[in-house]
Amino acid sequence: MAKIARSRRRFLTAIALLGGLGALWRFLVPGRKVRRQTLLEVQKNTIPLRGALVFKRSRVAVIRGEDDVYALSLVCTHLGCTVNVTAENLICPCHGSVFDRAGNVIKGPAERPLPRLTVEERGNKLVVLI
Amino acid sequence: MKKEDDFVKEFIKHLFPRVVLRRNLKLSYTFCLGGLAFTAFLLLILTGALLIFHYQPSADRAFASILYIENQVPGGWYIRNLHRLASNIFLVLIFLHTLRVLLTGAFRKPRELNWVIGFGLLCLALFEGYTGYLLPLDQLALWATQTGMNLLATLPFGELLRNFLVPDDIGQPLSLVRFYVLHIAVLPLCMLILCSLHFYRIRKDKGVLPYL
Repeated sequence: MAKIARSRRRFLTAIALLGGLGALWRFLVPGRKVRRQTLLEVQKNTIPLRGALVFKRSRVAVIRGEDDVYALSLVCTHLGCTVNVTAENLICPCHGSVFDRAGNVIKGPAERPLPRLTVEERGNKLVVLI
Repeated sequence: MKKEDDFVKEFIKHLFPRVVLRRNLKLSYTFCLGGLAFTAFLLLILTGALLIFHYQPSADRAFASILYIENQVPGGWYIRNLHRLASNIFLVLIFLHTLRVLLTGAFRKPRELNWVIGFGLLCLALFEGYTGYLLPLDQLALWATQTGMNLLATLPFGELLRNFLVPDDIGQPLSLVRFYVLHIAVLPLCMLILCSLHFYRIRKDKGVLPYL
């Protein structure tokens, strides 16, 4: 019987094993860097001074204070309704929680302030990350 | 040690007959349902073994670690969903396998012992799925387990069993650890042992069917 060369098969097996080991290593040692997703991008100059841009769909308000810009999550910390943004404060339509423009609770039933999302500057754009 | 090695080797060697006739390899004898279920079980062991490295079985870290697996670990979402879906498929296959055995009358003499073992495996698989359901500790897990435990309490001696499974309260540290240990160690081990017995009995009862 002719001898069958199996070197190609062995080579392919070795490649597959190496790839599998690499994937396993990546799975077990994921690295420290937190991977974040971009929620939305805003042109910097579109945010009015002491005003806010409200993104109902992404449930985020990008707010410009006197000299800082921050993004506030609009998910009510009570039961998760989308908070309405008014000129002075933020009001939840479901159970009447009121937050000030920094996100702190003025009136319950919510107990925790609205969380701030990370904002990154990229050129003349602001990027909100989750 | 040598002896046990031999035992496992011989066991695997004797799982399949030495010779089979081509005409006896008809798919419609079994539809390979049992074998497929066992394959799903092996897949569950593999993915589960990977998930153990990231999952944290403590009441306040469990859900966060699931989110970590889903979002931060490379391929984590894939492994976790493979585990989740394979568990569903596993149960479906076991039920179909039971149905096939029932409809073809394969539970009758002389294979009644294997039918009982198989029924035990079915119960263990259900319990395994149930204990795994709590581990993510999200709202679904919490309330499904609550419902299940209330159902259990209505059975005779159910209160005793409930107190063993849930010494504090559902979603509390102690019950989570109990479910975790059952899910990753006790139940899979029992299932592996019963599986071996199941396969051993299939081969032992040869002569009943042409393909054994």
